[in-house]
Amino acid sequence: MIGVSFDTVEENRKFAKKFDFPFPLLCDTDRKIGIAYGAADSSKDEYARRIAYVIDENGKIAQAHAKVDAASYPREQLATL
Amino acid sequence: MSLRGGLRFLAKQIFGGVRMLQTGETAPDFEAVDHNGNRVKLSELRGKKVVLWFYPKADTPG
Repeated sequence: MIGVSFDTVEENRKFAKKFDFPFPLLCDTDRKIGIAYGAADSSKDEYARRIAYVIDENGKIAQAHAKVDAASYPREQLATL
Repeated sequence: MSLRGGLRFLAKQIFGGVRMLQTGETAPDFEAVDHNGNRVKLSELRGKKVVLWFYPKADTPG
């Protein structure tokens, strides 16, 4: 599991510490990942859309989730891994 | 096509192209730094199932 937002390392470090996330939070500060995955329209977007993907063992998109609940999604998905 | 129509068409081409990736497509590779300063590269995780979760802002509810 990998989290992605447009926050800085420092902001995400605090976030990870507070919730004790057992996975990396990526700092997509230039929005390159966000744009490639349809979570942002441009490098000027302030926030990423609440979307998620399951990528299979071969690097293909296995599931695309257009709307995810930020509070419960990580826990639900971790249970499936 | 009128000038306005042409501009609208161009704007749609440039800005309207964002869409979610579809099931079966190859996930675009990326490399970024995580909250601990470690580099993470998607292609190095080949062989593992990866959940990629986008969230709007660190430390905001819901």
